[in-house]
Amino acid sequence: MTAADTLTPARFPGAPAWMAGRLPAGFRLTWLHLRTRRVPAGIVALAVCGAGLRAALHWNSSSDPQQFPMIVEAGAAAVIAVTTHGPFGEVERATGRWLPSLRLLGAVGMCGLAILALQLGVTGASLNEGILVLARNVIGFAGLGLACSLVTGGLLAWVLPLGYMAFCQYALTEAWSAPWTWPARPPADRGGWIAAMTVLAVALLAYTLRGPRTRPSDNA
Amino acid sequence: MSVLSVPPARPAPPRLAPPGLVRALWLEFKRSAMPYLLPPLAVYFYYDAIRTADGYAPVWPLRTSVVSHLVFYFSVVGGGLAAWVGAREGHRKTADLLATTPRAAWSRLSVALAGTLCWVLLAFLSFAAVLYVQTALQATWGGPPLWPVSVGAATVTMATVTGFTCGAVFPGRFTAPLIVLGLTVLFEIGFRESELVRVSPAGRAPSGNHALPSPGGVPLQVSVFHDLSYGTYALLSPLHSPPAVDAGVYYRVAPDLSIVQVMFMGGIAVALFGLLGLAAGLRAPGSAGGWPARLVAVVLVACGVAASWTGFTLAGTAQRDAVTGGWEIPALHSAASDQPVAATPDCTAAGSFQVCVAPALSFDLRAVAAELDPVAAEIAGLPGAPTRAEEVATMNGGKTVMARISGNPPVFEFTTDHVDAVDTQPDGNSDLTGWRTGFPQGLLDAFLAGPSPAAGLTPAQQAVGDALLAAVGAQPVAQVPGPLQPLSASAAAQRTEVAAAAQRFEALPAGTRHAWLATHLAALRSGKITAAQLP
Repeated sequence: MTAADTLTPARFPGAPAWMAGRLPAGFRLTWLHLRTRRVPAGIVALAVCGAGLRAALHWNSSSDPQQFPMIVEAGAAAVIAVTTHGPFGEVERATGRWLPSLRLLGAVGMCGLAILALQLGVTGASLNEGILVLARNVIGFAGLGLACSLVTGGLLAWVLPLGYMAFCQYALTEAWSAPWTWPARPPADRGGWIAAMTVLAVALLAYTLRGPRTRPSDNA
Repeated sequence: MSVLSVPPARPAPPRLAPPGLVRALWLEFKRSAMPYLLPPLAVYFYYDAIRTADGYAPVWPLRTSVVSHLVFYFSVVGGGLAAWVGAREGHRKTADLLATTPRAAWSRLSVALAGTLCWVLLAFLSFAAVLYVQTALQATWGGPPLWPVSVGAATVTMATVTGFTCGAVFPGRFTAPLIVLGLTVLFEIGFRESELVRVSPAGRAPSGNHALPSPGGVPLQVSVFHDLSYGTYALLSPLHSPPAVDAGVYYRVAPDLSIVQVMFMGGIAVALFGLLGLAAGLRAPGSAGGWPARLVAVVLVACGVAASWTGFTLAGTAQRDAVTGGWEIPALHSAASDQPVAATPDCTAAGSFQVCVAPALSFDLRAVAAELDPVAAEIAGLPGAPTRAEEVATMNGGKTVMARISGNPPVFEFTTDHVDAVDTQPDGNSDLTGWRTGFPQGLLDAFLAGPSPAAGLTPAQQAVGDALLAAVGAQPVAQVPGPLQPLSASAAAQRTEVAAAAQRFEALPAGTRHAWLATHLAALRSGKITAAQLP
């Protein structure tokens, strides 16, 4: 037996067997990046959010039909925020040339998947204010989560979107009209859209360039 | 001098070091993340609880219902924080390292849980104390009810223990946000269910009869409501709408439901704490703490489940109290709760007309008297005109009391809720203005109404009432600007006719109005006079 006998196509831990040696390195890199961020589990969580939203719409018959969807939308954003955490920290930052692109891809992709999962969840049901409000709220809450990850790290980035959601529940019952309470605004509210999109754009830019805060003690 | 000549060092005096568990608890307390969460909680507290409480009349049971707002925030925050702390060993990958320490895993986790729970409860009680002090400075009667705080503390404890146990058993990155989401959804569902139960005129339908053991020896037959989606869960929910303004003023608020809620929440907390011990033993058998610890854990789980199940079953037996209109649980109910509260009403008199309210509502006595006195002067001396106005309970014998004039000499009895259709609103923007403006109209409606007041006023009676209100500078509630609602053609024509007749009648001199009423009051009450016949 020689060393040549042991040379098998590179197979990273966790990569599916069929993927080894067949796909370009970029795909493998992307797959590994997403897997270290627990994105597959996050996608499952988004699917659960979609199912939860469907159940809420089926069950909910109250006079304020926006409250439960807002909770689920913030939950989906919290999932997106939590998937920003990676376990490698400074080592990855120092060697990962493609890291900003992968961060951007991951965040935008998860936002799209969140909107898709929630929209699939409400297909055939009557969602108050429609898909536009759903998309706007997911975008805005996700922006808050990404911004929070810069300060707290990915593992605690769910705090801001969920906390802001709780505040907006109050704004919803009080019918506040300020643009910064966009989750409580109707779909045609231009100020709400501008606020939500601004939050996402700024947070996404900062997250792409800088990445979430990492600490050696965070490892989950 | 040599080393040998140096006197031996005197041993240091023994320090009073606290026991290991206390030191560990102090470390947990010092390193908790709760202080960082206090500023946002204070913002919530100001916007939601303080502003809402400011919008309520300063009556203890009504004001302290705002504690449920605190319960929601602190339960959700406590659950999330505890889940994070519970998952700490998983995050840090220190479970194996800590398993080698002599301390049992359950003991170690208990210290972390206790540190978190202390912070959450301390913050909750501090914020609740602010609310109580604010109420104490404004309330004119009664004392602080402790049951809302007890239920709140039990709920916050339950949520914190739930979060911690889930975090310790499933130490993943999604655990804490999922706990927060789950608690939020559960509380929202509970609040909505309680709304359904509250507004449903039919109440709940019993699904069976059960016999409960009674200390007297005779089993207590009770109706049981087992429909989870509509009833029992709503009663167990600590979140609910504010009670009536005079709840607890004329009859004490029975603690039955609060006892059951504490039993249910406390049972869940105890059971989950026991489960934490069992789970810690399963995850790290070497640090399980031996069979005594496992036995204690099993006993705690059993006791907790028994307490929760008992609470759930008792909540299923709740019925509307026939006297006070609140919820009573037969197995816990004390007949003393149904006795009227002995309190001397506060009265004020302007001339011969006296206005009396319950001492708890005396903060508004002058304003009510100022509203009623001019109207009472307009009708003074007329047949059936009241010489006294007295506030009475909203519920009497299980029935809603409406404003009326009764007795001899006539007394105008009014309630806080039903004189006026305008309720106090759960926000900081409204005040008691709308509540007060209904009083003079309630007096005139009761004075002008015929033998069946429930049928409502005739157009002529309504026109006379509007004219008298306008004469004293008040505005009828029906004419207060509000959301535009389409009127049918006949209703619009009738409103125009009433307005024209009221204007005519108001334009008369006061003496002429009084004389006309003295002559035609009986015919007006019996409905024999039309609006067109008014002078």
